Amino acid sequence: MKVNAQTFFNFCSGHVPLLRQLAERTGELSEAEIAGLIREHTLSQEELPETTWRRLCELQILVPTEPGSGYYLLAEPVARLLTYLFDEANPTTPEIVRGYIASLETLGGQLLRAVETDNVTFVGLAFHEINNTLRKIHADLEETQRAVQNEVAAFKANRERVAVRDRYRQIVYWMERFVEPMVDIVRPDAAMAAAFEETERLLRLAREQSLFNDHPALERNLRYLRLVRQHALRVFQECRKEFQPLYESLRRSSFIATGAAIALERLQREGIGNWGTQPVIGTCALRMQHVPGDAAISLALRRVIEHPPELAPVISFDETPEVPSGLVSQIWLNALPGEAIAALPLDDLLEWLAERYPDKSTGEILSGFSRLIFLETIQARFSEKPERDYSTADGTLHGHPLQIELA
Amino acid sequence: MSALPHVRPIFERLSRGTHLSPDDEPFFSALSSAKFGDYADYFAPLGFELIRHEREFFYFAPNDPDKVPDTLPRIAVFSYILIDHAANQGELIEDFILGRNFLISALPHFSLDRYAALLRQVEVHDAADLKLILQHLERLGWLKWLGIDEFRFLRPFHRVFDRCLELSTQLASPTDAERPDSTV
Repeated sequence: MKVNAQTFFNFCSGHVPLLRQLAERTGELSEAEIAGLIREHTLSQEELPETTWRRLCELQILVPTEPGSGYYLLAEPVARLLTYLFDEANPTTPEIVRGYIASLETLGGQLLRAVETDNVTFVGLAFHEINNTLRKIHADLEETQRAVQNEVAAFKANRERVAVRDRYRQIVYWMERFVEPMVDIVRPDAAMAAAFEETERLLRLAREQSLFNDHPALERNLRYLRLVRQHALRVFQECRKEFQPLYESLRRSSFIATGAAIALERLQREGIGNWGTQPVIGTCALRMQHVPGDAAISLALRRVIEHPPELAPVISFDETPEVPSGLVSQIWLNALPGEAIAALPLDDLLEWLAERYPDKSTGEILSGFSRLIFLETIQARFSEKPERDYSTADGTLHGHPLQIELA
Repeated sequence: MSALPHVRPIFERLSRGTHLSPDDEPFFSALSSAKFGDYADYFAPLGFELIRHEREFFYFAPNDPDKVPDTLPRIAVFSYILIDHAANQGELIEDFILGRNFLISALPHFSLDRYAALLRQVEVHDAADLKLILQHLERLGWLKWLGIDEFRFLRPFHRVFDRCLELSTQLASPTDAERPDSTV
């Protein structure tokens, strides 16, 4: 169904924001999505959303993906028109450029055959097609450059929170998908240059050997060939320059982020005990003590000089004339078991000690008492006699009599 | 010795682990001069290797990498969390960290449970502990206080970035094509 151009453009003029939104969406749109966009951009109360929806379909701006489907696409001719109007550009893929090269090679073959058979009509057609192909290449290169510039600008202005590694992947995608392969194609020693050289050779051959005499067309094609060749290389070198700084900085940031993430992940998984020293950034740490300064040395010297003199201690080397009391006591204790065993059995041990050694102190009597009752060869037991007092050299002891005999 | 200006204060700072950057004048200018080699030769017999980083700051090489004081793992975890946060914001890491001022109260270290758990492993529990780390970073010459709560990181923080790049290549074992030092 033909669309009335005036009706079409009248509708478009009143719905530019909506059309822009539709143009920015890629792929299929559901009815719900389209209805949402219509409500969002219907500013005037003069038109109901249902009317806008109906007009979009009638004017074939939106077409169903298949008959009866609930999903729609922006019609391809409209999409191209909007791309042109909104100055949006799509990058040329390496596959498209390779297609152009193949096309030039095919046209070269046709041109050669036409020249060999002196078929002027075919030579003219081949000239025309070569010219068209070169124009397409030129236009696509222009569009690619614009697309790259737009992408870089959008990327720099993008304030959405996208992780740096994801941003890096986007740039890597652009570099690897569009820029690097294209440079490989358009560089002077690559496929495009070879195809252009062959085309130029055939064009010159046609001028020399054919009856085809449209020399202006021939010159136009030769001029265009040189222009496109230079332009292609320049465009992709420019694209590379646009992306290279972004690519480098994002690449570095991505690796820094990866390193930090690896270190943190190891800490989380293995704990600080097994984290090791590798993630730690070492520093110099000298534990130094300063040499004493002049003031400290002066103070130390002054303290030595001003210290009052003191006589050295005198040690007596003379032999002691008396036997130490401790030694006397020890000798008595050592001899006591022999004397006691000789007197066994004893009815009252303490009485025997007090009477036999009246000059011994209470402490010495008790030491002798303890020594005897713990001897393995002596058995001791308290008698049934009543308690009594025992006089020593320096006091009195009170207790039950204790009998001892041989064990 | 008299021909090397400020050699004593330079040695005192470097031997404590301090990194000298353009914020440390006049010592930075002295080391940046043509006499850098003389300084390095002067310190070498004492057992200190003077390093001039490609980003133009100076420090003594760590004397014993296996002896790690408690503060260094804390600094590492603190720094890695900051980098992780910057990466999640989609910012270029170096621009994010070295190109702006920070407030202690706005640091991201306790914004996620994961970060808090990592910090607990190195005995960092609250903002006061974070401030101790920052004070240590200042002693190392990695940051400069601009106010009670505000600070900015200095050029020697590149040592953290360097370590991250090493870790990403050594631990992740990527292919040569993916290495950050490979040519593009």
